[in-house]
Amino acid sequence: MTKVTLTVNGETRTASVPPEMTLLRMLREELNLTGSKLGCDVGDCGACTVLVDGKAVNSCLMLAGQADGRDVLTIEGLATMERLHPIQQAFEEKGSLQCGFCGPGVIMSAKALLDDNPDPTEQEIRDALAGNLCRCTGYSKMIEAIQAVARGESARPARKSA
Amino acid sequence: MRAFEFVAARDSRHAVALLAERAGTAKVKVLAGGTDLLADLKFSSHTPDVVVDISRAEDLKYIAMTEEGLRIGSLVTHTEIMRSPIVRDLFPALVDAAHTIGAVQTRNLGTLGGNLVTAVPSVDSGPTLVALDARVTVLGPAGQRQMPLAEFFVGPRKTALKPDELLVEILIPKENLGKPTHFLKFGLRKGQALALVNVAASFWVNWDAQAFVAPRIALGAVAPKVMHASTAEAYLEGRAIAPEAMTEAGRLAAGDAKPISDFRASADYRRDLIAILTRRALEGAFEQARAKRAEKKK
Repeated sequence: MTKVTLTVNGETRTASVPPEMTLLRMLREELNLTGSKLGCDVGDCGACTVLVDGKAVNSCLMLAGQADGRDVLTIEGLATMERLHPIQQAFEEKGSLQCGFCGPGVIMSAKALLDDNPDPTEQEIRDALAGNLCRCTGYSKMIEAIQAVARGESARPARKSA
Repeated sequence: MRAFEFVAARDSRHAVALLAERAGTAKVKVLAGGTDLLADLKFSSHTPDVVVDISRAEDLKYIAMTEEGLRIGSLVTHTEIMRSPIVRDLFPALVDAAHTIGAVQTRNLGTLGGNLVTAVPSVDSGPTLVALDARVTVLGPAGQRQMPLAEFFVGPRKTALKPDELLVEILIPKENLGKPTHFLKFGLRKGQALALVNVAASFWVNWDAQAFVAPRIALGAVAPKVMHASTAEAYLEGRAIAPEAMTEAGRLAAGDAKPISDFRASADYRRDLIAILTRRALEGAFEQARAKRAEKKK
């Protein structure tokens, strides 16, 4: 077993996992963070996208042991009990998702993009989402949502959580 | 995924020591960015006994200008290549090639060394570096050895690496610093597609004679390994730069290649692509040469 200690969404977490366990499985099965999805499991679909030290990566392509000591941000780290993250809010307002399976990955890719480049062109947004596959609605409304966040729209007060 | 033993190397020397210790008796795989290896570990039946993780070997993460040329540590990621001011300035073709690999997430993880070590015929980092006469350094128990990248590739998924050796550095020799080079890839989609054909063309210009000097054309995905289009290169050497010469070089390059037909494309289609992409890559390199010259004159 490999002992892995890492920061997830601002909290220090530790787990003892078999060496062949991926970061994705550790997040989902050991830490019960099931927001990151298991899709293709080979780095094509992007449903497992998380940020490691601020960079978007496929968590299905990292062994948990490689994430030891690193800072991981998952979709669960974006919203608070009071409000959605502006990207999530914009996705809701634009109706950017249908089934939603790709959503956590897409939103984490968008977060990495906007952290690095607050005013991306449409082409830069498309490039940032090239590793996230959506099989429901397509990408137009996702791109509109990300553009809205970049323009500082989507500042509508979030609804209160129940 | 089948179980294996996981060992993390502190640096390249430690990694080589671990390989020397284990490679004789166990099946060992080196883990760098993991974008290819993890998929193999999950879906291939040949799983290793030991995985040596070198992803924390900081001594292999550098892009440095030295007297011999531009040195790139094997663990530099595709994203780091795309963002490096030195690479962007001297070798925009390397930036373009890196940009065609996978997507943001895989480029953040995947490394130049890892990409080369896969040695798949379509390896996107290959043609530009081969066209620039890049050399690679491998480290083993007996020390370092260097060879041209074109010889490091041996065949499909085969390199000159011995089981106890590690690819540590890629060198673009000083005589090729800033050599105008253009890379083109044609896949079935724009995103996350393997190359049907990828091409890099590189040459210096003798401005007095308006002629090609030291032309290089490297082709990927059309032979067992990345190859020089030798007939096309010989044809261009010293020849006057003209559209007809570029078209003819494309035709010759298509003849040099040995493409196969598979479910992605037929050999004939690949030959047609080589002819056109080679011409366009030559045009792109010439455009770059002209732009650099104009900039210098300012």
